[in-house]
Amino acid sequence: MKTRISPILSWIAQIIAVIIMGQTLFFKFSGAPESVDLFTEIGMEPEGRILIGILELIACILLLIPSSITYGAMLGSGLMAGAIIGHFTTLGWEGDRLELGILAIVTLAACSLVLFIRRYTIPFLGSALQDSPSEP
Amino acid sequence: MTGKLVVNLHKLARFTNLALPFLAGLFFLAGLRISFYFHFLTVSFLFLNFLNAFYLFGQRGHSLLRNFGILGQGRYILESIGPELRQYLYLNDTEERPFNRNERSEVYRKAQNINSASSFGSQKDFDATEVKVRHAMFPIRKSQLKPSDVTFGEERGCPNAYTMKRPFIISAMSFGSLGESAVRCFARGAKQAGILMNTGEGGYPKYHLEEGCDLIFQMGTAKFGVRHPDGSLDDDKLKALAAKDSIKMIEIKFSQGAKPGKGGLLPKEKITDEIAALRGVTKGEDVISPPSHRECTDLESAVRFIRHVQRISELPVGIKMAMGNAVEFHGLVDEMKRQDVFPDWITIDGSEGGTGAAPKAFMDRVGLPLFPALKRADDILTEHEVRNRLKIIASGKLVGPGRQMIAFCLGADAIASARGHMLAIGCIQAMQCGNNTCPIGITTHDPDLQRGLEVDLKAQRIANYVQNLEHDLEELLCATGCRSVQELSFEHLYVPKDSTLNTFIGSSH
Repeated sequence: MKTRISPILSWIAQIIAVIIMGQTLFFKFSGAPESVDLFTEIGMEPEGRILIGILELIACILLLIPSSITYGAMLGSGLMAGAIIGHFTTLGWEGDRLELGILAIVTLAACSLVLFIRRYTIPFLGSALQDSPSEP
Repeated sequence: MTGKLVVNLHKLARFTNLALPFLAGLFFLAGLRISFYFHFLTVSFLFLNFLNAFYLFGQRGHSLLRNFGILGQGRYILESIGPELRQYLYLNDTEERPFNRNERSEVYRKAQNINSASSFGSQKDFDATEVKVRHAMFPIRKSQLKPSDVTFGEERGCPNAYTMKRPFIISAMSFGSLGESAVRCFARGAKQAGILMNTGEGGYPKYHLEEGCDLIFQMGTAKFGVRHPDGSLDDDKLKALAAKDSIKMIEIKFSQGAKPGKGGLLPKEKITDEIAALRGVTKGEDVISPPSHRECTDLESAVRFIRHVQRISELPVGIKMAMGNAVEFHGLVDEMKRQDVFPDWITIDGSEGGTGAAPKAFMDRVGLPLFPALKRADDILTEHEVRNRLKIIASGKLVGPGRQMIAFCLGADAIASARGHMLAIGCIQAMQCGNNTCPIGITTHDPDLQRGLEVDLKAQRIANYVQNLEHDLEELLCATGCRSVQELSFEHLYVPKDSTLNTFIGSSH
């Protein structure tokens, strides 16, 4: 039963992550003022904005190609971890920043769920997991 | 500790395990104070810490990772690329098994029509174990050689006796172990070279028949292709198959060199819908042929079964076996004499192990190697005065003319080789045959990997290879002063003290 549900669950999480990351790309690449403000605040405007955008785009693509989903989830969760660090240190949680922060947390959670479901395919971790069945 | 410069890996690992969280913290501070870009490193190191914590405290299966953490992974990484490193960089030209670089490159050169002459002496350690062929003081000319025809079935006056022009056979590899492209390469190559191809026990030989080369249909213990659902022989199916033009001979497989005493094995990774259909089996589990034919429970029934297949198929019928116990072989020959039924040939398969997937213990430890087995079979048949009732085909690592010549001297009438022909079409000895991941695309059904095999080009390689083998055989024959392989004998071999063949010196003839 579990084996039949978990791939669907993983795909739902992947699509959520892709939608959230994907819709911010428009703002990042078009240089929307909110986005520019945000990256100015953390001192990465404009190279960082473009760089993060490209990395998020790559993560989205990887998340949708079956053979690279795990890598996409790893990249996605890394980027979101960075974003959350940003909110805690510099950006804060007021106003629309709260919304963005929550979206980052949701995306991180989605990517983590994908990684958990596909944990046996994570490089350097999967095989160790498989060999110790007492662990989750 | 002494003052020497030594790397204490355990200390280094403990230092690394402490340094990782510290570095993550440092990068976080740098991200805070210097530039947000440092958080790329912060995040990376957070992941590393997470992974390291799991190795040290989470998992329990790997003691090394539990003690050393992430540095311990280095050992596994290095070990995993070890086979490639050894093959490419460290092993010398005569060291590798089953085929060393010299043996492989000889086949490659033959297949690509490149001169294989080498200079400045042999790399073989032939003072100790290497068998050598004795040449004659007055070699003959090629024009003096007899044609190398071998006729199967002539001894018993079989109406469909088959004459092969060149004494080489592409040995049994089933469709299933091989992918479609590889089967086509071999079959097309066999047709071009004018040699026989053995289908292996892979069921109905669909692609072989499409290519139209001369075929030996092999009937394994599971009788794929000619079986009733319960695994017994379906006479009608056999008759229908034997009536086909391309099917020239039938081989009953009693045992095979890779796993003598065990049935064939096709790992489930390699079973496609098509293979399941051609074999009449279900998908998703290993296909394991029974260890013996259900019709053959003792010598009497086994010989009767040979006769039965000869009668039904009306073709030359041989048996394939790896030699185990010489007493049993004596018994088999006795029983053949008693019933006056002889197979038209016996394929002696050396236990050197072929392409087949086999349990390691069977591959390494069961059955006699080819040369002593071949010599013993030839001796026993001669002793019973029935050597002229059948032919002997030798198989087992006979990829180059040197070993083939020795096999001829030990009594073989023809040579069957599977791996020789695989090397000829580009096998690199990655030893992945059972995993469906063959990087050359020979023993796999993955279309992406099979893409590498250009059938027409590789078929030509087979033809070149056979052509050059024949060329070398003829030259070797001329050197011994013999006019055909039938004139070769054990006396043409120099057998040093440490060779497995040494026990046979002076024992017969």
